[in-house]
Amino acid sequence: MPGGIAAKTTVHFGSIDLTSCSGNRFNQPRWGAMTFHPDTLCPFCGLGCGDVGIDQDDSGIAPRPSGCPQADRLFRRSTAVSTNARMAGAAVAMDDAITEAARLLRAGRAPSIAGLAADVDGVLAALTLGERIGATVDHERSEALFRNLAVLRRFGWSATTLAELRNRCDLVLVVGPDPAAAFPRLWERWVLPEPAFVADGARSVVFLGGEPLPETLQCLAGRIEVNGLDGGAADLVALVGRLRAALAGRAMDGDPMMELAVRLRAARYAVVIWAAGLFDTPQPDLIVEGLVRLIRSVDGTTRCAGLPLSGADNLIGANQACAWRTGFPLRTGFDAGVPLHDPERFDWRQRLRDADVTLWISAFRPEIPLFDTGGAVIMLAPPELAVTPEPALFIPVGTPGIDHAGDVFRADSVVALHAGALIDRGLSSVATVIGRILAALDGAALDGAALDGTAVGNTVGGEAAGC
Amino acid sequence: MLTKLAGGRLFDPANGRHGEVADLWLRDGRIVGDPGPGATPDAVHDVTGKVVMAGAIDIHSHIAGGKVNLARLLMGEEHDRHRFAGSPCGCGGGSGIATPSTHTTGARYIEMGFTAAFEPAMLGSNARHAHLEMSDIPYIDTGGYLVLGNDDFLLDLIATNAGQAAVNDYVAWMLTATQSLAVKVVNPGGINAFKFNARKLDLDEVGPYYGVTPRSVLTVLARAVYELGLPHPLHVHGCNLGVPGNIATTLDTIQAASGLPMHMTHIQFHSYDTAGDRKFSSGAAALAEAVNRTPSLSVDIGQVMFGQTVTASADTMAQRHTAPLAHPRKWLAMDIECDAGCGVVPFRYRDSSYVNALQWAIGLELFLLLDDPWRVFLTTDHPNGAPFTFYPELIRLLMDRDYRLAKLAEIHPDAPAHTTLGSITREYTLAEIAIMTRAAPARILGLSDRGHLAPGASADVTVYSDLPDRRAMFERPDLVFKSGRLVVRDGTLVAMATGCTHVIRPGFDDLIERRIARHFDERIGLPIKHFRIGDAEIRHGAGPQLHPCRRREVP
Repeated sequence: MPGGIAAKTTVHFGSIDLTSCSGNRFNQPRWGAMTFHPDTLCPFCGLGCGDVGIDQDDSGIAPRPSGCPQADRLFRRSTAVSTNARMAGAAVAMDDAITEAARLLRAGRAPSIAGLAADVDGVLAALTLGERIGATVDHERSEALFRNLAVLRRFGWSATTLAELRNRCDLVLVVGPDPAAAFPRLWERWVLPEPAFVADGARSVVFLGGEPLPETLQCLAGRIEVNGLDGGAADLVALVGRLRAALAGRAMDGDPMMELAVRLRAARYAVVIWAAGLFDTPQPDLIVEGLVRLIRSVDGTTRCAGLPLSGADNLIGANQACAWRTGFPLRTGFDAGVPLHDPERFDWRQRLRDADVTLWISAFRPEIPLFDTGGAVIMLAPPELAVTPEPALFIPVGTPGIDHAGDVFRADSVVALHAGALIDRGLSSVATVIGRILAALDGAALDGAALDGTAVGNTVGGEAAGC
Repeated sequence: MLTKLAGGRLFDPANGRHGEVADLWLRDGRIVGDPGPGATPDAVHDVTGKVVMAGAIDIHSHIAGGKVNLARLLMGEEHDRHRFAGSPCGCGGGSGIATPSTHTTGARYIEMGFTAAFEPAMLGSNARHAHLEMSDIPYIDTGGYLVLGNDDFLLDLIATNAGQAAVNDYVAWMLTATQSLAVKVVNPGGINAFKFNARKLDLDEVGPYYGVTPRSVLTVLARAVYELGLPHPLHVHGCNLGVPGNIATTLDTIQAASGLPMHMTHIQFHSYDTAGDRKFSSGAAALAEAVNRTPSLSVDIGQVMFGQTVTASADTMAQRHTAPLAHPRKWLAMDIECDAGCGVVPFRYRDSSYVNALQWAIGLELFLLLDDPWRVFLTTDHPNGAPFTFYPELIRLLMDRDYRLAKLAEIHPDAPAHTTLGSITREYTLAEIAIMTRAAPARILGLSDRGHLAPGASADVTVYSDLPDRRAMFERPDLVFKSGRLVVRDGTLVAMATGCTHVIRPGFDDLIERRIARHFDERIGLPIKHFRIGDAEIRHGAGPQLHPCRRREVP
C-alpha cells in the first residue's frame, strides 16, 4: 500500500513465537566443531548479566542453563535462517528492499519509527532517519519508563544502582509486583550475595503490596517478609500513602505501617525497588511520586535510595541516546528538523493509529506486540520472526550480542555494556540497514561495501578528521 | 588540500609569537611550514589585520555522560524553550542552553572557535556511556578525566596499607580500561562517606568504615599521578565545595599536596571566607597569593555568570546541601556502583542576590589576581557556574576594565564592599587570552600537537576580527578550521567535521588485575572483561589518540 493513507484499513499485526519449537538439538553435547563462549553478556532484560555460557556449532548457538528463562530462550538461534528481505511476503533482493523502504519513507507524510529495540548505534541511526523524514520515535516498552520519567521531570529523584544494592543495602523494600517477573535473576545476582558493607551481613526483603514469585521465595528463602496484602489486590497508591503518613508520625493506631516506618528509619541503607511496568493501576506515576517523596523523607536522616527498574531490549539505551541527541526523552518527533517532545501524543500506540508509514524495529527478539495501523509497515526484525499479516516490507536484521557487537544499557541506567558478536549468519545490524536507507534517500549509489554501518552509527556525517 | 591564511597576526604563545604578521599554511589536517614560491594552495584566505590563534581548548566542561543526560531530562522546560534545527552541512538539530544536546554542544563550541573540550568527571562505571556521547559530539576533540578517590576498591587499598605501588597499578589499570586522559578526585572520600550517611567530611576528618582521611586519599592519588608520569596533574575538586569559610580548607589542600603537582578546579567555589554580617565574603586574595607562590599548582576558575543553569556534579554530599536552593524546585541524586555518585540541582544565579553577586566577583578577582596565565584556565565549570556559551562575555570582563566596573555597579549593592574587584586595574591582553585558552591547556593536558601553530600541529585554527568589543569578537570568529577543514565562516557552520578522543595509557603490573577481577566478580557483579572499553569502541572504530606518559619518582 504505497503511501497508503487513503484506505485507512486498520491492520492487526502480531507475531508467532517459533523459538519454543526449535527443538532440543543442542541438548546432546556434540563432539567436533563445538565452541564454548564463557561469560557472554546478555542484552535482553536489562540486568546485564555477563556470565552466560553459550555453546556454538555449525547449526547455531544455544545457551547453557542460566537460571533465566529469557536468556535460555533468546540465545538459542539457528544458522538455518533466511537472510532474504520480503516485499508483501515475496522474497526480494536487499538492494530492492532498501530502495522500497526509502520510497515508502519518502512518500510518508506522517511517518513513525517504533519498536526501536536496537543497540545504541541502531537507535542513533534511527534518530538520524527520524530527523531526516520528520518521524516520531518511541520504544516498544517505553510505558514503564515514562511512569518514572514523569516524576523525574517534575520532581527529581534519589536513586541507586545494582552494585550499591548488592553491597550496601540492609533493607530492601519491594513495592508492588515482584520485579523478577521482568528481571528474572534480580534476586539471585543482586540481593542473595552477602552485602560487603552491612555489619553482620544480614539484610531483609520486605514486599509491600505484592507477592514474591515462587522462584523468589526459593532464592531468598527466610529473608522475605510480605506486608500490606490484607487479602485481595493491594491499592498501591493508598499503601504508599499510609507508609508516608507513618513516617511522618501521622499513622492511625495499630497500623502495621508504623513498624515498617520504624525499620526504614533504622536501616543504614534502604533500597526501594519497583518495576513500574508491572503496576496495574490507573495512575501509576502517582505511586512513583509517592515513592520518591517517601525515599526523600527517609534519606533526610539515614540513607535510602530508589531503584526504579525498567529496560528490556535496550529501552534505557534508546532513551539515553534520544536524550543526548535531541535533549529530550523518547516520544520525540522532528518538525522541519527541530525536535519536539510530547509524552502523550507521541506514544507509539497513539502514533501508529495515524501514521501512514511505520518503521518497526525489533532487533532483540523474534517477537512483536500486537498493534494496529492503517499505514504501511516496514519491519526490521530477526529472521525467526513469523509475523501476520506480512508487512509491506520485511528486512531481516541481526541481534546485538549475537550477530554483531552492540552497546546496551542496564536497567539502572548508569552502566552501558558492549555485547560482542557470537555468530555470522549474514545478517546486517539495524544501524547498517538504516544507513543504507539514508543513503538511498540521499540518492547515493547503493554500494553496500562502501556503507559501513558503524560509520552510520556515528551519524556525525563528515569524514573523520585526521587525528 | 593546501590552504594559505595570508597576512594574519599570529597569537601563538607556545612558539613565542604575540601578534607578529605571518602567513600560515595548512596541509591535510596539519600545519606546515611555508612550502615555498612554487606552491599552489587550493584555497587562500586573506586575513590581513585579523587575529589568528590555534583552536581554543576547554579543559573542564561537563559535556557528556550520565549526569549530563539526567540534567537534560530534568531541565525539560529549558529544552522546550530552546530547540534548534540542524544545519545543511549535516550537523543535527537539538535543544538546550545549559545542557545542550550532543550536536548542539559541538556546534556552539566550534562557532566560538573552540576545537576541543574535555569532560572532567567520568565515572569508571559510566565511562562507556560518556564515550558513546562524546563520539556523538561533532567538530571538537574530547576526552574524559576518570573520577577516583571514592571508589571502594581504592579506599580499601589505602585502608589496608597495600602500598603506593599497588595504588599506582590500580590507577593505571583503571585509566586504561576506561580510555581516560587524566585523573580527577571529587570530594576525596566524601562521596563514599555520604553512602555511610556522613553529611560532611573535612580534609583531616577520618571517614566512616575505612578510617581514611580526605588528605590521605588526595596525597596518595597525587603521588600516583606523578609517579605514573601522567601529563595532567591530579585534577582536584576539593572538600567543602560551596561552604562559607572553605578558603581555609582550600589553603590546607594546597599544603597537603606538599610540592606534588596539582590542578585545583573551579576554585571560585572553594574561595569563600566568613567576614561581614552575612558571614560570607571573598577569600580570593588569600588563595591567589598562595597559588602565585606555588609553581606546582594550576587552577581553573569556574566563573559564575548570571542566569538560569543547572549544576551537575559527582559530589553528592555538596549537592545535597545545595538542593534546598534548587530553581526550579527539583533535583536528583544517585549513588553509583561502589564508584562515586551524582547530584543534579538546577540553579539560577541572580545579580540581585548578595551571595551570587559575590560569587561572580570572586571568580573575576581570582582571574585578575593570579599572575601567571600559564597556570590559570578559563572555565565556568560548564554548566555549574554558567553555560560555556558565556565565555565571550567573560573574556570581555577580563579584557575591558570599564565594562567590568559598569557591571560591578549593577550587582547587589553590598557585594562590592566585600571584594577587591573594583580596585583591580588589570586587563587581560590578547596574548594572555591565547595562553589561557590555547597554549596552556594543551600543555597541561600533554597534547603536544594542539594549542599552537607550529608545523606539525593539528590544523585547528581560529581567525577573529580585532574588534574593540571583545565579546563580539570572541562570539563570532570569521573562520574556524578543524583539522584543516573550514567548518565555520562568519559564525555560521559551513561543513561537518569530527574530532578525536585523547587518552593516556601508563603501564601497570598485571598482578593487580587479579585483585581487581576478584573485586568485580564479588562486588560489582560483572566479569572484568565487560568493564574494559576496547579501542574499537572509541569513535566507531577510529580508536583513541594516545599520548605518552613518563614515569617519575618522587624525590
